[in-house]
Amino acid sequence: MATASISLRDVGRTFGATRALAGVDLDLRPGVTGLLGPNGAGKTTLLRLLATALPPSQGQVRVLGLDPEVPAERTGIRRQLGYQPQEVGFPRGFTAFAFVDYIALLKEWTQPAARHAEVRRVLDLVGLSDLGAKRIRAMSGGQRRRVSLAQALLGSPAVLILDEPTTGVDPEQRVVLRAVLAELARTSVVVLSTHQTEDVAALCERVIVLDRGRVRYDGPVTELTGQAAGRVWLADEPDPAASISWRTGTGRYRNVGGRARDGVEHVEPSLEDAYLLLRGGSPEHEPAQGVAS
Amino acid sequence: MTATLTFGPPATSPGRATFTALAIRETRRLVLNPVFLFAVAFITFVLWAGPDAGQTEIDTANPYPAIFLGGFGMMATYWLTRSMRASEPVVGVTPVTQPVRTAALCAVAIVPFGCGCLALLRFVQLIPVSSPLYGAFSPSARVAVLVGQIVIPALGGPLLGVALGRWVRFPGAAFVLFLLLYGWVSVVTILSMSHANSALVAVLRLFAPFAFFSLHNDAGGVTAWRGSPWFFIGWQLALCAIAVLVALLRGAEGRVRTRIIRALGIAGVAALILLVLAALGGFTHPLTA
Repeated sequence: MATASISLRDVGRTFGATRALAGVDLDLRPGVTGLLGPNGAGKTTLLRLLATALPPSQGQVRVLGLDPEVPAERTGIRRQLGYQPQEVGFPRGFTAFAFVDYIALLKEWTQPAARHAEVRRVLDLVGLSDLGAKRIRAMSGGQRRRVSLAQALLGSPAVLILDEPTTGVDPEQRVVLRAVLAELARTSVVVLSTHQTEDVAALCERVIVLDRGRVRYDGPVTELTGQAAGRVWLADEPDPAASISWRTGTGRYRNVGGRARDGVEHVEPSLEDAYLLLRGGSPEHEPAQGVAS
Repeated sequence: MTATLTFGPPATSPGRATFTALAIRETRRLVLNPVFLFAVAFITFVLWAGPDAGQTEIDTANPYPAIFLGGFGMMATYWLTRSMRASEPVVGVTPVTQPVRTAALCAVAIVPFGCGCLALLRFVQLIPVSSPLYGAFSPSARVAVLVGQIVIPALGGPLLGVALGRWVRFPGAAFVLFLLLYGWVSVVTILSMSHANSALVAVLRLFAPFAFFSLHNDAGGVTAWRGSPWFFIGWQLALCAIAVLVALLRGAEGRVRTRIIRALGIAGVAALILLVLAALGGFTHPLTA
């Protein structure tokens, strides 16, 4: 059995009277782990804890065997960390190259030639090699998102924490980014939070579902998806017996949960189906991407 | 049990090399800052390209470096410090701690300080230290007056801008502080004109990062005011140290934070002593020469 690279023991985090995380126990190893959950479930808080941006209110966090609450060890973690926050602002007047280069400098790449080569490499990885000289403020939302991902990829970090990395990114680039992350995950611990269940299905071996600050599910993606087997079917109309239905690209309706009638056309479940079932089959809790009630 | 993975970015060199590279980067950002460029251009025009003949008093010319290199320099470094605030979620989880980044920002003050030194040389060229325009001060005290009015503000203003940028969120804070300082210096200077012999007014006049030491009167003479220019430089340098320490305090933790707080206490006491010495030293009453 592989040893854990990140471990959390009974970790909790509160903001005033609000409890964002409670009793979280996790061991994360090299590979891609997806983090799903409704808005306010504590995903971003958990990622900030892993990224050393936030200390826990209780419990113990260890990243690469180091304690982020000890300043010297925190610096040790940060030397091997890539973090793409959910939202990042960019300084006025910076080009994509200048910004990533500045972050590379803060990541202790002091040799200009090596640093510039690394910056060019990560910009190329996210498909921005031609836009390095463009001012970030003049870029589209998706391009800015890729700039923030590029800085996280600097130095192929041992721990990569990504908060909704593909939001606003076009489908072609998402496919490319999946390949990049899959390659990095051979040796690194990659944790990504997303509302795009297809990204989790395509990338992650393991998925963690958070709900109200607690781990609701932690296991293989295939196992979670398998829980929806036999509970997803297609029909020409929304089935009142289903917990949730929505129209697919073929014009037919996908029905999930509830009690399927005899003779319905069962289809292979997706991670999204399983996630919605886990959440109680109710879209009100979570307006998941691509789902129309 | 946990395991530490040992791979990471190649060609890294933590510590001093990172600080030096970062300080150079921030310096480059400062010299390209429009506010600072304007300030330097204006000083260059005033001291080099402007009319230099017929200079009849020093107090009309020597505040310019303080206003532009110090005041505008403060606004430029304030902007420089604040510019990365939006990127803090990314910048804040890099191995370079906030105090180190702050120190790199403080290091950029060497540029306006250098400009201040050049301005001083040019000023002395325009009005030699032997000129009667300086009043009753000794030659060394005249140099101290000029250093305190030209060079040290050019250093202190940008340092104050960094400290302000680290602690204050209001975007116009540097401009407001500039106006406040300008107003304070103007008020206490006016007070000194009417109460030149008052010890309290002398303390108020010196309780500022910039102070006048003489007044050119209409009869053609120069009245040298109370106070020691040398101790005033000490007071100004103590203020510079306080600005740096206050800036460094942001984000400092553990032993570093304790040391900074201790150093702040020492600098505060030193500043107070030097202010008292500046007020008590020099001439004990105004002298007109």
